[in-house]
Amino acid sequence: MAVLSLKERIRANDEAFRKTGSLFGLTTLTRKESDPGTYEAVWHILSNLCNAAWATGCKVSSSPIAAEGGDALWGLHTATGEAICISRGISAHAGLLSDMIKNFIAIGYEEYPGFKQGDIFENNDPHYGGIHSPDFDMCMPLFYNDELIAWASCVSHVADAGSVTPGSIGFLNPDCYSDGIAISMERVGEQDRFYPWYEMRIRSRTRTPDFVMGDARGRLAGCITIRERLVEVIEKYGLEFFLDAGKEYVEDSRRYAVGRVRTQTVPGRIRKSQFKDLAMKGKRVLLAKQDIDCMFNLPMELTINADASVDLSLRGASGTVPFGENISPTALKSGLMMGYSHIIGFDMFNSGPISAWNIEMPPDGSWANPYPLDFQAASGVAWAPAVTWVSSLYEVFGRLFQMRGFVEEMAAGAGTIMTAEFSGINQTGMYLTGLTLEQASQGSPARGYSDGENSAWCIYTPEADFGNAEISELYYPILFLGRNVAPNSGGFGQFRGGLGHTAVWMVYNTPGLEYQCGDAGMRSKTVANHGMFGAYPAVPDRPAYAHGTNVRELIDAQKPLIHERGDPESPAIASKIQASIVEDNAVAPFVTPHALVDYDIIVHPIAGAEAMGDPILRKPAAVANDLDEGWTTERVARDIHGVVTSKPNGHFVVDEAATAKRRAEMREARKQRAVPFKEWWAEERKRIQAQENMDPAVLRMWHSSMELSPKYAAELRAFWQLPDDFVFAC
Amino acid sequence: MAEFHKADIEKLIDGVLPWRATQDMLKSSKDPDRFDKYVEILQARVAFADPILLPLTPMLFIVATGGERVVKCQCGHSFGDYRVNWKLSALIHVRDDEASLSEIYKGREMPDPSWIQVREYICGGCGAQLEVEAVPRGCPPDFEFLPDLDTFYREWLGRPLPDEKEYRDRTLEEIATW
Repeated sequence: MAVLSLKERIRANDEAFRKTGSLFGLTTLTRKESDPGTYEAVWHILSNLCNAAWATGCKVSSSPIAAEGGDALWGLHTATGEAICISRGISAHAGLLSDMIKNFIAIGYEEYPGFKQGDIFENNDPHYGGIHSPDFDMCMPLFYNDELIAWASCVSHVADAGSVTPGSIGFLNPDCYSDGIAISMERVGEQDRFYPWYEMRIRSRTRTPDFVMGDARGRLAGCITIRERLVEVIEKYGLEFFLDAGKEYVEDSRRYAVGRVRTQTVPGRIRKSQFKDLAMKGKRVLLAKQDIDCMFNLPMELTINADASVDLSLRGASGTVPFGENISPTALKSGLMMGYSHIIGFDMFNSGPISAWNIEMPPDGSWANPYPLDFQAASGVAWAPAVTWVSSLYEVFGRLFQMRGFVEEMAAGAGTIMTAEFSGINQTGMYLTGLTLEQASQGSPARGYSDGENSAWCIYTPEADFGNAEISELYYPILFLGRNVAPNSGGFGQFRGGLGHTAVWMVYNTPGLEYQCGDAGMRSKTVANHGMFGAYPAVPDRPAYAHGTNVRELIDAQKPLIHERGDPESPAIASKIQASIVEDNAVAPFVTPHALVDYDIIVHPIAGAEAMGDPILRKPAAVANDLDEGWTTERVARDIHGVVTSKPNGHFVVDEAATAKRRAEMREARKQRAVPFKEWWAEERKRIQAQENMDPAVLRMWHSSMELSPKYAAELRAFWQLPDDFVFAC
Repeated sequence: MAEFHKADIEKLIDGVLPWRATQDMLKSSKDPDRFDKYVEILQARVAFADPILLPLTPMLFIVATGGERVVKCQCGHSFGDYRVNWKLSALIHVRDDEASLSEIYKGREMPDPSWIQVREYICGGCGAQLEVEAVPRGCPPDFEFLPDLDTFYREWLGRPLPDEKEYRDRTLEEIATW
C-alpha cells in the first residue's frame, strides 16, 4: 500500500470527517474502549510532558515575560498537525500552532525543503497565520524510526520584535511594514541548532536581542524536552498505541464538547453586540492618517443547531483601523478556541472541540479579516479587538447554561486588558524594553451564584499571574509604591465582577523612561456591553501619571506618598503630588509624549470583570462586607444597590427596614422615569437620522459595518425604519 | 451519573450553597434531570401559574398560555410572543448624557455619551431591571436568545410540545407595524 504524504493524509482526514462526522473517521474509540486505564494514564503522561517542556523552556528563557510571567505555551501534535495536548501557559495559541503546522504541510514543505529530525520551523507573520510579530511560533517534526510521527510546538511572547515603537504591544503601528521582524514560514535551524543568520537577524533587528534569543533557546529546549520524553512514552506503550490514542484524544474531546452543548445548552440563535474604542486623535502618533479616533464593532451571532454543532458569524464587523489592531481569521479562530476551551471543552484541551464549529469567514476588509481589502493592515497587537470580542462568549454561554439550570457553570463577561510597557535605560545602564505582567491578573467574571474573585483571573491565559513586584523592579527602573485592590472596579450587580488592582510606580534610577500605556483589549471612552441580567458594566480604563514631581521632597520630609488610584472625582495623584505635568484622567492608550524621569509617578489600573443581575438584588450583607473591606463606597451602596448602612463601631451595619423601603422606592422610580420602548424608538430614530450626539468615530464604524456587511445593514435599516439608501457619514 | 438534591440546587441559585458542595457540582458529571428540577424550583417562585417552558433569564420566562408562548417576568407581567424581542414591550430608560451617566459612573469612571449610551430595560410590572445595554446610538437592541423551542423539546428532551411554532425571528415584522 502506497504511503500517503502528509498533505494527502490531511485531505483524507477531512474527507473522513465529512463522511462520518467523527475526526479521522473514528466512529469507535478502540483504544479507549479496550484499555481505558492505559488510555487515561497516557493522556496524563502526555499532558505532563508538555508541562515539563513549559517549565524547562520558561527557565531557559531569560526574558521576564516567560521566566517570571510564564507567557509561553508548548504543544504536542499529530503528524497532520492536530493538537493532542498542550502545556499550561498562554492557551490562546493552541489553535494557531496547529494551523501553522498544517500550513507548512499545505504549502508543500514536505517535498521542499523537506522535514527531518532536528529541523526548526517558525512563523510570526500574520499574513501567514501568525497573530502578531512578538509571538514567535515554532514547531519541530518528531521522528521515530525514520517516520514522522508527531510535532512539538511552542509560542513565546518576546519583549521586543523590532516594531516601529519599542516593546511588544504595537498598537501604534500604522501598517504591516512597521510591525517589526517577520519570520515568514521559515526553517530557522537544523540539527537542533539555529542558523547563524537567524541569530544575526535577531541581533540587528530587535531591541533586546539577548532576551529574544533567550526566548528562542527556551522554545527549542521545550520542544526537545517533548521529543525526548515522547520517545520514552513510545518505548513503554508502543508506537501504534501512541498513534491511535493521539487521534482518539482529539476525537474524544470533540465528542465531549458536542455532548456538553447538547446536554447543557438550548438550540437557537444567540446574539451579543460588543464595541470597543481606540481614541487616538490629538495624541502622539506616527503618521498623519493616525490622527483619528476609532470605534470597533465586534458582533457575535451564534446558532446552536439541532445536531449540537455551532455556527458562528461576525456579520457587521467594522473595517480595518490604521493601527496595529487588525487580526487574521486564523489567529481569531485560535482565540475563539481558547475561550471555548475555558467554557466548554476543557476535559482534554486540544483541537477537538473547535472542529464542531462552522465559522463564517468575517467580512472582507474588516478588523477580523483585513487582508482581502487592506493588505498593509498592521497587527502589532492583533489581540486587542479579538480578546474583547471573545469576552462575549463567556456571557453567551453563561446565558445558555442558566436556561438548562447549570447555574454553577455561568459566567459574566471578562475584564479588559490595558498593558504597561517601559523602554529606556535601567538602573544597570542597560537598554531595556518590555511588558510588565500586571494585566495578567484581572478580576474574574461574576458567576451565577457568587461574585467574581479579585485579581485572580485573565481571559487570555489560565496562568493568571502578575509576577513578583520585586522581580519587575530588578528589570525595570521603577519602584512599586502600591499594588492595591481597586474599589468599584468590577461591574455592579447582584453578583459583582471580581475587582482589579491598581499598580502605582515611581520611576527611579534612569536617565529617561517611556511609559507606553497600551491597548491589548482595553476601553477608555466606553464600557462593555455586558449588562447581563440587569447589571451595570465595569468602569472604563483611565490611567494617570505625573511628570516633574515633588516626590523626592515628600520622601525627604517623610510626608505621605501616593499608593492608590483614589476617589474618581478627586484622584489621589492630583491631591497629593505637585508636578509640572499631571494627567490624572488619561484616555488610553498612549505613549507619554516626553520621557519620564526619576520620581515621576504612574498610576496604572487593571480592570475588574463584569457583573450579573439587578444591583438592587444584591444581598445587603454582601454590600456591607464590601464597605468594610474598602471594595466599594457608600455612594454605590446607597445609590446603586439601594442599601442603607451606618457605621456605629467601626463596621458597616445594614438598616434592613430602610433598605427595603429604599429599594421599593427605586423600583417605583425606575418605572416612573422609563418610557415604553416604542415611544423611545420613535424619538431615537429621529436622532439617528440626524446623527445627533454621535462621535465621528461611531459614525465611521457604522458606515464601514454597513458597507462590508449588506445583510447586517439591511437589518439595521429595517429595525429603525430608515430609507434603503441611508448611510452614516464617514 | 451525578444526582443533586433539589434543596441544594435552590441553595446554589440563592448563592448560599457551601463552596465545597458547589465544587462538587462543578467537578461531577452533570445530572440529566437538572432542567426539570430547575424549572420546578422556578415555577414555585413565580407569581403566575402558566407552565414555564424555558427560563430565558433568572427573571424572564417563556411560558405556555392559551395555546401561545409568551415571555413573562417573574411578577407575571407579559412581554408577548417569544419570537419578538421582548425588549420591544419593556420600559426603557436611556443614559446618554453626562448628568444621567454620572448617577452610575462618577468622574474618571464615566464613559463618553457621544460614544456609548447605557440602556436600562425595566419591567413595567415590578420595576425590575431586566437587562442593561451599553452600545452606541444606532445599535438595535440585542435579541439575546431566540430558542428553537420545538427542536429542544422534541429532539433534545424527547417530549414534543403541543402547538408547534415556527422557529423565526418576528421582531422586524412587529417593527414594520409601527
